[in-house]
Amino acid sequence: MNKKSLIKLLILLFAVPLTVILGLIIFNDRGYSFVAICVAGFSLIPILLTFEKKENNTTSLVILSVMIALSVAGRFIFAFVPFFKPVTAIVVITGMYMGYECGFICGAFTALISNFMFGQGPWTPFQMFSWGLIGLGAGILGKYMIKSRLLLLIYGIFSGVLFSLIMDVWSTMWLDGTFNIIRFYANAITALPVTAVYVFSNVVFLLVLAKPFGKKINRIKTKYGI
Amino acid sequence: MNSKVVNSFGTLHPFVLLIYFAGIIITAMFSMNPVILTFALLGGVAFMVTQCSKNEFFSDLFFYIPMFLLIAIINPLFSHKGVTPIFFMNGNPVTVEAILYGVDISLMLVSVIYWCKCYSKIMTVDKFLFLFGKAAKKLSLVLSMAIRFIPLFRDNFREIRQVQMSLGLYNKKGILNKLSSELKVFSALITKALENSADTSASMRARGYGLKGRSHFSLFKFRKRDLVFTVILTILFSVTITGFCLGVTDFTFYPHLDSLRLDIVSGVVYISFGIIAFLPFITEIREAIVWKLSVSKI
Repeated sequence: MNKKSLIKLLILLFAVPLTVILGLIIFNDRGYSFVAICVAGFSLIPILLTFEKKENNTTSLVILSVMIALSVAGRFIFAFVPFFKPVTAIVVITGMYMGYECGFICGAFTALISNFMFGQGPWTPFQMFSWGLIGLGAGILGKYMIKSRLLLLIYGIFSGVLFSLIMDVWSTMWLDGTFNIIRFYANAITALPVTAVYVFSNVVFLLVLAKPFGKKINRIKTKYGI
Repeated sequence: MNSKVVNSFGTLHPFVLLIYFAGIIITAMFSMNPVILTFALLGGVAFMVTQCSKNEFFSDLFFYIPMFLLIAIINPLFSHKGVTPIFFMNGNPVTVEAILYGVDISLMLVSVIYWCKCYSKIMTVDKFLFLFGKAAKKLSLVLSMAIRFIPLFRDNFREIRQVQMSLGLYNKKGILNKLSSELKVFSALITKALENSADTSASMRARGYGLKGRSHFSLFKFRKRDLVFTVILTILFSVTITGFCLGVTDFTFYPHLDSLRLDIVSGVVYISFGIIAFLPFITEIREAIVWKLSVSKI
């Protein structure tokens, strides 16, 4: 077994259970949020490690950073419509065309960088985790989504709802220390309009951007022989 | 309040800063003890005074005081635990314990937010990249390139929009027209950005990216002052953590309020945490005094 998979295994077998136990012993009442932050953080490590150790060509590194920058810049560019942002769409597109690792990193780093501008907080690992997850899923389903537009739109809707729900779980745990189901419903219902805008913006941006982006990236690939 | 922002704490080595912020934010986030939380909040607010302008400070304050009260009021509506009801609402008791728990939670939330704001002010991107750059070279390259591209793309976006406007292709009447025009510009931006990325990578390869023996440039040095801070922080944090583990700072709200433990052992824990919380503020004040003195000598 090589070093990389050993670290992955160590994280999954020891670090995660250890934080769960420690969290419950040391911070009995606030244990939930501590454990949640740590587990979200740990879940980032395996994929980041895989990417770090893999041989990538330089162009795909640059394209990945371009995609991250585009999705963060999109938040400023479309600032005139509240919550209507291309971030999720770009993360999904990156996952679709560049594979699940790049999709994950695009999602996670978008959250990280935009929080450098909008303020870091304990919510950062959660946003990194949920956007990363969306990119990961898009990478796995990528082959089918390039062919079927319907699937792409369904995934857009699903990812908008997923992101909103994961963040609701987080805010519930942060406010209460434990998972209070009534408060979760209250959070989810108050967030409903925002969720709707998320879903709508994902669909619009995916419809407009997905196909042309595929053409553009294929053009680059043929032109520069990557 | 200083008109000029003094910055002495921020010049510490990034590693020391990381330990400090991680320590204080984690402690504040997971402690239930009102004394610890009050120290954390006051320390964070005091440090914020030294780090931002008067306007920013007061506009923050006007935002967080209502938020503080709102969270404190909302908790009793969701939580009916506790044994001392004040009155009944829709058949559910509103208890003293739940209200005080709400106050405690909002103390925690606001102090964590303040410390995260301080973190954002102090731990700039270059320090973050310095800390994680050695562990993950490729990822930190991606991150720093992305950070550089953001302002570039914003400028490019404005340029493309101006061109489209002067060509009469940009319609800004009504939000839908504006949105579709912006989308067109955004799509053009994507093309341009992808095209340029091929150039960037070609020039990176030409300059030997990925060859062996690259070194890592940074401006940060671990000085004697950093060592002193590390030692102080280690001692104070271990006292605090030992206190936590021994249960000195345990405080429960449900079913009924604990009485706050006040003896020598808990006093030591509280004082050491208090010093941690006010350390940045003290550092800044000391720096300001030294500066005033040395100016007056001239």
